[in-house]
Amino acid sequence: MLEAFTGRFRVGNTALGLPPEGLPERYRGAPRLGEEFFSGDAAEIGAMVCPTGAVDAGKRTLDLGRCVFCGYCEEACGGKGIRFTPDPHLPFGTREELVIGRTPHAPAVAAKKLRSLLGRSLHLREVSAGGCNGCDLEAQAAGNPNFDFQRFGIDFVASPRHADGILVTGPVTKNMKEGLVKTYEAVAEPRIVIAIGACAASGGIFRGSHAVEDGVGGTVPVDLYIPGCPPHPLSILYGIVAFFGRYPGRVPAGAAEP
Amino acid sequence: MMRCVRIFDLAESRPLAEDRFREFLREGIAGGDRLLAFFAEEPSPGRFLLHAVVGGSAPGRFAHGCAEISGQAYSTFTDVCPAAHWFEREVYDQFGIVPEGHPELNPLRFHEGWPKRFFPSRSPEAPEAEPRRGYRFLQVRGEGIHEVSVGPVHAGVIEPGHFRFSCAGETIQHLEIRLGYQHKGTESLLAGKPGYRHLILAESISGDTAVGHSNACARLLEALLGRPADPSAESWRSIALELERIANHVGDLGGLATDIGYLFGAAHFAHLRGQALGLLTTLTGNRYGRGLNRIGGLAPRIPGTAPEPILDRLRRLRVDAEKGGSIMLEAPSVVVRMEGTGCLRLRTATTLGIVGPAGRASGRDVDARRDFPSPCFAEFPPTVILQREGDVLARARERYEEMLESFRWLSLVLPTAGAGGGALSGGSADAPSGRRLVVSVEEGWRGEIVHAAVVDEAGGIAAYKVVDPSFHNWPGLAFAVRENVISDFPLCNKSFNLSYSGADL
Ligand code: SF4
Repeated sequence: MLEAFTGRFRVGNTALGLPPEGLPERYRGAPRLGEEFFSGDAAEIGAMVCPTGAVDAGKRTLDLGRCVFCGYCEEACGGKGIRFTPDPHLPFGTREELVIGRTPHAPAVAAKKLRSLLGRSLHLREVSAGGCNGCDLEAQAAGNPNFDFQRFGIDFVASPRHADGILVTGPVTKNMKEGLVKTYEAVAEPRIVIAIGACAASGGIFRGSHAVEDGVGGTVPVDLYIPGCPPHPLSILYGIVAFFGRYPGRVPAGAAEP
Repeated sequence: MMRCVRIFDLAESRPLAEDRFREFLREGIAGGDRLLAFFAEEPSPGRFLLHAVVGGSAPGRFAHGCAEISGQAYSTFTDVCPAAHWFEREVYDQFGIVPEGHPELNPLRFHEGWPKRFFPSRSPEAPEAEPRRGYRFLQVRGEGIHEVSVGPVHAGVIEPGHFRFSCAGETIQHLEIRLGYQHKGTESLLAGKPGYRHLILAESISGDTAVGHSNACARLLEALLGRPADPSAESWRSIALELERIANHVGDLGGLATDIGYLFGAAHFAHLRGQALGLLTTLTGNRYGRGLNRIGGLAPRIPGTAPEPILDRLRRLRVDAEKGGSIMLEAPSVVVRMEGTGCLRLRTATTLGIVGPAGRASGRDVDARRDFPSPCFAEFPPTVILQREGDVLARARERYEEMLESFRWLSLVLPTAGAGGGALSGGSADAPSGRRLVVSVEEGWRGEIVHAAVVDEAGGIAAYKVVDPSFHNWPGLAFAVRENVISDFPLCNKSFNLSYSGADL
């Protein structure tokens, strides 16, 4: 017993300060689009190598709802035009806002009514609707001693009846559609739906498969998207906290570089 | 030649008759081989071939057998090779080919809402508008028997599945596991021209095993295209694999601690898991090691990684993990709770073909790092760790000791890893033509991962089969919980910690 205590003392307090000192330089978080993307050939190169069709060379946009953050486009254009940064701030309010281009979007914020009702504490039921488990693990990790989202009043509950909303991962498989709808309907209104990861936004790499619905939006209405593959626990934490106006939000990622 | 990959020339070999195929399976299993993969293919409309790959009785031993199915049915092979029982259900789902006499021919993936006669891997046939018949759970009869059903949406933050318990009082008589909720058609998406998209799909087979599946897939594609990675790249692949193993084993110890209310362990190991994932991020730019591999080598950033800072962080992690683990696994309250719970006997494990730590905890001596070594494991063989008891405690100890072995192995190999090598650039590539079967094996943290691809005349991938260790191991969980009380189920489940997504391909 004593040993357990001394062990705990040695490790100490593990919760990250906010904002944290920074993620490893190689971490692929929010991409920045540079001038080469808009007037050079970076968009064409990106569109050629992108495995998810996230880069649209004609419109000069990058769809973070499809992007799996593989970094192939960045490599192919030599970092000119598309560059991934370790910035984990990635909350978006609508599916359209996930498509980034030259004009930056305003950060996503919850509607006033939701904010006043749920602003102080938020209890979520998680529904894994066919992902690979990556996003579920990160959602779980957001509650661990390092990221500790309980300190912001956010927590997971075991029943939709106890929840203010649902957090959905995965492209929504045909086999999970009913389970998702039933869980959603079991949450009392007003309720919030948070979609986590590329699959939940668009089907991600599974887009077009015979077995998936290509994202959550077609089944239940989404209030907050947090893209990534999977998103970092900090993205989930920041995303939710910023959405409720409790974290001095930065401009969400993807905006063109000045 | 790498012993973890093998190419079989299909143009040369002729399909066996059903009874010869049965003999092939029977002899293989009797000779100590295990069933690595079993799948079907439709080379031309209406013509079906069954492929089985067995091996493992000696390092690098693979054998391939192929049977031609006349008509839409064959008599089941589950009687001579019980490990084939889920595979036969899978083939039935994908092609509608019936294994006559199969003990439990329920659909594995297609639930009631799907149209009848919709077979995704088969050449197009108009599905009937009528929905499929319902799933038939096994009925346990007897006085006082009642059923408890759980899922598909579980209480925790985990993947969906349905468990149907038949109990007498609190005691579980039978557990039926119904999966398929995570079915995303991954295998169907893996056909086509070999390319980078395969690697991304492989990383998304099971999110916690991105490195394991990506390594297996990369080697398969490399063998297919005749572009092996250089030894240094292979070293980094194995290093990432062992980091993934540590992260998951340490995470599972935390999960077990959570499930028994041992909060010191829960917090301690959750934190350490984060540290291990941090090492993968330093290496690959992603917490789960996504983006590590390219065809023919590694992502361009990885070769620049200096081993010293990693070694340094590993040393600190090792101290905390070793200490925390020994405290936990010696605490009387922990031992009492885990000992004798969820016991899987060696005989059952062997018959069902259980792999990975779940098998080794029951004394089943299988480890792909030894049986199908990739170049780096051939050079630095890891020690295979075995337990005998097969209970939750044995599975916890197995993970703990395997993790320590991984630390030892990493400290040996990291200093020798070198600078990595160049990789193919561009999206997809042209494979040489000729019908072939390529098989690739890797020991993921959960057990043996097998990828197999049938390549057609034009060099495209006609059929791609993925075997996640979970696919072998789910039936093992159902056996382990028998005669336990229902409240022990979460703990038993955690001690196996199987992937739903990896089984629901
Ligand atoms: S990082 Fe995103 S946009 Fe770039 S190639 Fe990968 S999926 Fe496409």
